[in-house]
Amino acid sequence: MAKKPSMKPSMGRQKIKIAKIEIKNHLQVTFSKRRTGLFKKASELCTLCGVEIAIVVYSPAGKVFSFGHPNVDSITDQFLSRSPPPNSTMRHLIEAHRNASVRDLNSQLTQLLNQLETEKKRGETLDHKRQLVRQRKFWWEKPIDELGLNELEQLRDSMEELKKNATDQANKLLVEGTINPSLFFIANDVIGMVDSVETKPYQINIGSSTNPDHVHNFGYGHGCF
Amino acid sequence: MTRKKVKLAFIANDSARKATFKKRKKGLMKKVSELSTLCGIDACAIIYSPYESQPEVWPNTAGAQRVLTQFKRMPEMEQSKKMVNQEGFIRQRIAKAAEQLKKQCKDNREKEMTEVMYQCLTGRGLQNLAMADLHDLGWLVDQNLKEIHKRIDSLKKSASSQVVAPGGSSKSATSEMARNGGGQGPGAGQQEQKPVVDLGADAMQSRPQWFTDWVNNPNENMGFGGDDQMMLPFGDGHGAMWSSAFFP
Repeated sequence: MAKKPSMKPSMGRQKIKIAKIEIKNHLQVTFSKRRTGLFKKASELCTLCGVEIAIVVYSPAGKVFSFGHPNVDSITDQFLSRSPPPNSTMRHLIEAHRNASVRDLNSQLTQLLNQLETEKKRGETLDHKRQLVRQRKFWWEKPIDELGLNELEQLRDSMEELKKNATDQANKLLVEGTINPSLFFIANDVIGMVDSVETKPYQINIGSSTNPDHVHNFGYGHGCF
Repeated sequence: MTRKKVKLAFIANDSARKATFKKRKKGLMKKVSELSTLCGIDACAIIYSPYESQPEVWPNTAGAQRVLTQFKRMPEMEQSKKMVNQEGFIRQRIAKAAEQLKKQCKDNREKEMTEVMYQCLTGRGLQNLAMADLHDLGWLVDQNLKEIHKRIDSLKKSASSQVVAPGGSSKSATSEMARNGGGQGPGAGQQEQKPVVDLGADAMQSRPQWFTDWVNNPNENMGFGGDDQMMLPFGDGHGAMWSSAFFP
C-alpha cells in the first residue's frame, strides 16, 4: 500500500501495520472489505490459471464465509481425506459445462466494468467542464446557500418560467407527435411511436446514456433519475 | 505491479500462465495472512494446481486441517449460508457493478441536465430538446425550486424573528457581509441581532456602492449595473429574448 497525500475527505490509501486492529468498528469494516477482496483475487486466480481453490474464513462475529472453485466441499473433502477425487468422464463434462458458464459470466462482468469506467470518465469530464464554467461567475450558478433573499426570489421566478416553458414545449411535441408520428420519438426510444428511425429532426444527443432502464411517463411525478 | 490491464480469461500461453500463477498465488496467501492477523480471525486457503502434486496450503497442513474440521462440524445450513463458488461470486460482482453503473449514469445525466438548465436560463431555446430531455429538465427544475423555496422560507423566518437593524437585517445580508468581509469578525452577524455595521467599518467601506445600496434597500430590484459580466436570467433585460422564442 502506497502512501498518498490526502486532499480528499476520506483517508485514501495509507500504509497500515499488520497487527490486530484495535478499534472494533475498523476491524469489522476491514474484515468485510478485505474478505471481498480476497475472494475476488481467488476468483481471478481460478479464471486466469485454471486452478482449484478453497478459502474458509471466520468473521469477527463468528460467521463463516467460504469460497471454492469448483466448490468448497469437493476441495475440502479432497484435502481432508488426502485422496484425489475419482477421475470420471461425467466429472469432466460437468466441469466443462461449468467453465463455459463461468466464461460467459466473466465476459459479462468485464463488459459492465468497462462501461462503468467509461461513465466514470464521462462524469469527471462533466465535473471539469462545470469547474471551468463556474469561473464565469454567473451569480445564479452559485450554490443556493450562498444566495441572498433577493437573488433567490429572482432565481425562483426564472426557474418557474423555465418550468412552464418546458412543459409547454413538451405538450407541443406531444401534439405534433399525434399529428405526425414520424416526428415524435424519444431520445432513448422506449416509447417507440416511430415508423422510420431515419428521421431525426429535433434531437440533439445530450441524453446519450447507456442506461436501458429509462422509462418516461407523461408527467413530472418523478424524473428519469 | 502491472501496468497493463489483464483480461479476465484463461491465459492461453503456458509460461505466462505459470508465471502469473506463481505471483498471484503468493499474493493471495499474503492477503489471507494479513486478513487473519488484522482481524484476529481463523482462516485457511487450499490451492490445487497442475504445477504441484501437493496442494499449496495456508497457514500449514495442520492449521488448515484444524480450521476445516471445525468448519465441517458446523450445521450444514451454517456452512452453506455464506458459501459461494465461482459462478455465484461472479454473479454478485455483476450485480454490484450494474448498480454502480446505474448510479453513475444517473449522476452523469443530472450533471448534463444541469448544464442544459443553466444554458436555458440564459436564453438557450428549448426547441431542439427531445421529450426525454424536457422531462428530465422539468424534474431538475422542480428539485431546484424545492430547495429555493426551502431556503427562502428559512431566510424569511429568521429575518422576521430578528430586530430590524440599520442597513437591512435579513440573514442573507448579514451572512453575505460576513463572507464578503473576509471573515473579519467571528461570524458576528449570523445568529445574534447585531446590526451589520458591527462587522467593521472597513468591510462597509470597501464594498462597491451598489452593494451598500442593496444592503440598505433590500427590496429594490437589482440591476447589477457595475459589472459587465453579471447578467440576469429572464430578468428585466432579457425578457425580450424569451418572448421572441416562444411568442412569435
